[in-house]
Amino acid sequence: MYYHGTGAAMEQVTALLARAGPIGSSSSAPTSSSSSSSPPTSSSSAPAIAGTSAASSNVSAPGPGTSSSGTVAVPTCKPSSQDALRWERRLQKELMAFVTDPPPGLSIDADATSQNLQDWTVDLRGADGTLYEGENFQLNFKFNSKYPFDAPQVMFVGNHIPVHPHIYSNGHICLSILTEDWSPAHSVQSVCLSIMSMLSSCKDKKRPVDNSLYVKTCNKNPKKTKWWYHDDTV
Amino acid sequence: MGDATREAEPRVDGKDAQVNQDVLIMEQQRQIEEEISDAIPLVGAKEDLLGTLEKEYISDPIYSMKAKDLSSKYNSIRRTRPDGNCFFRAFAYAYFERLLTCKDDYKGFYDIVSKSKDDLIELGFPQFTLEDFYETFMEVVERIGSGDMTQDELYELFNNQGQSNYIVVYLRLITSGKLQRDADFYLNFIDGNRTMTAFCHQEVEPMFKESDHIHIIALSAALNVGVRVRYMDRGDSAQVIAHDFPEGATPAVHLLYRPGHYDILYEQ
Repeated sequence: MYYHGTGAAMEQVTALLARAGPIGSSSSAPTSSSSSSSPPTSSSSAPAIAGTSAASSNVSAPGPGTSSSGTVAVPTCKPSSQDALRWERRLQKELMAFVTDPPPGLSIDADATSQNLQDWTVDLRGADGTLYEGENFQLNFKFNSKYPFDAPQVMFVGNHIPVHPHIYSNGHICLSILTEDWSPAHSVQSVCLSIMSMLSSCKDKKRPVDNSLYVKTCNKNPKKTKWWYHDDTV
Repeated sequence: MGDATREAEPRVDGKDAQVNQDVLIMEQQRQIEEEISDAIPLVGAKEDLLGTLEKEYISDPIYSMKAKDLSSKYNSIRRTRPDGNCFFRAFAYAYFERLLTCKDDYKGFYDIVSKSKDDLIELGFPQFTLEDFYETFMEVVERIGSGDMTQDELYELFNNQGQSNYIVVYLRLITSGKLQRDADFYLNFIDGNRTMTAFCHQEVEPMFKESDHIHIIALSAALNVGVRVRYMDRGDSAQVIAHDFPEGATPAVHLLYRPGHYDILYEQ
């Protein structure tokens, strides 16, 4: 069974936290600071964020005179303009491959997607001979400029969310390749296929056991949940 | 320490606090990563070895002694960012840098890597994404071979996050391919009852996952590039012990290992 949760994963970071000192403030503040940087360009798309709020709390401010534009001292490691094109180019290629040779059961509105490459909605049809036969779902992908090094944010949207032991009623999916096992060798297509196969191998249509608690308390962004994976069977 | 009192608050409601903890932890993790990336370049400049390490370990007799030992064999050190990719990045940088001057090694290396894509596709890697990384990787390799790359350009390229990470990813895929192809052998080195494919999906292919011996053995064997790792730790030997991968190979790349991290070394 999959749970979202803080168990093992939390232990791993305890040491990190201890080293870094106490967490500044509690419930309200961090939520607001993180929601300000949520979709579509989550965490740190460096150029945009460099001068703004939370991000400027770096340890080694390069030197007095150079406050905002100031990573000059250190060889620049921020995404360059070339990198900016890189994620776009990759997503364009993915879109083209998806449209010219759509995987069975999947489809996408190419025109709408090419208008905004950072936000894809894929239509997904339950495979024949499975518990989801004939059902139609929508998967939403959001990409930031660090894609494919950063995983996309993936969830079911719309008014029909599959009933499945690893899919919460708010559309969040507990699947390790979407967070800690994400690799840049994955793609929209391979994620869709993993989710399809997760649906197809389901033998008992039901919600996760902790569904109501999780849905009530989770962050809007499933990537902000520390998922705890321990089941490969479904 | 006005924060101490505020920090205690959310613990009152267990459930709610737990979810907030997720967000807090991730936010803090992100901040730590950002601090590291602001402070340490992906690949640093060459530094004088003894000067650098002696300063670093001025109040640490064991490490000072080892720094001295190391400096009898090596001149300089080049640091890499401790982001979990340090082995792959250090390896690639050190070897590419060598290829800039050592043309004899180039042909053999080129032949191996130019074949690697088909090998990986045969093993079931998704062609589409693989090609993307392969092409970027080969672009760099070919520039080196054609003489169209200076030291400075290589340095710049490796500090360009996009390009640098593309190279890291491709080396991770090559490593994964080798581990899966020779799974019978490498399975002896992994704990638990994971399959080799699962191990690769979890510990090799994702970015930022740290490398262990098994990664080093597989990559050095796959590319036929000898790696000598110098281990600097709290052990009581006065010497900095060397391990060569694959065993018996002539080292083309020298790395310094300090618990959890790899940097590049330059011989005298």
